[in-house]
Amino acid sequence: MTIDIAIVDGPLGPVPATATRESHETGAAVMFEGIVRAQEDGRQLAALDYQAYRPMADRLLREIGERIAHKHGLDRLSVWHSRGRVSVGEVSFRLIVESSHRHESINAMNEFIDLLKRDVPIWKRPVWPER
Amino acid sequence: MRVTVLLFGSEATAVGRDSVTVEISGPITGAELREHLNEHWPALRPMLPSARFAVNHAFAAPDQVIRATDEIALIGLVGGG
Repeated sequence: MTIDIAIVDGPLGPVPATATRESHETGAAVMFEGIVRAQEDGRQLAALDYQAYRPMADRLLREIGERIAHKHGLDRLSVWHSRGRVSVGEVSFRLIVESSHRHESINAMNEFIDLLKRDVPIWKRPVWPER
Repeated sequence: MRVTVLLFGSEATAVGRDSVTVEISGPITGAELREHLNEHWPALRPMLPSARFAVNHAFAAPDQVIRATDEIALIGLVGGG
């Protein structure tokens, strides 16, 4: 089982080539990406500015990842989260979950995101367009 | 003894700063610290019921004793993902 955690400055780049297929036993790889939407509460948005309380955010991401990976018997769980400014249309969050079969990966993905949104100290502040 | 509480997100916005300081007479629990903040920082009152304390980068139980040497953060509703 492998857990990869990274909080990076700015938007996330393309998916790393090494991010998937932990072993030949892996039969399912599921990826979720969070993308900054163009509108927030009905208003046009320019970007989101993410703030993370470190190292607590890093530690909780890892703890949740390890707990979920163990519970669902995952081969690998990789998560990236932005901090700082991420413009509309850019990726601020990516989660890749790998397991032998799809059910484990899909269930693990939902559970991880629910816990992230409940516990991990990361905040976002809307950045409005300049008029 | 002075305790500094780090603030983030809407809590920091509400008081216009990224930390607040509370004067206490000795070690206190998280529940007591919450009461201090409620009394001395009115702008935080709407957020306090849903906020949690982190002590040294881990969520703290309400009865956990907090000391001046601890790193204390008020963690309101988070918004990652």
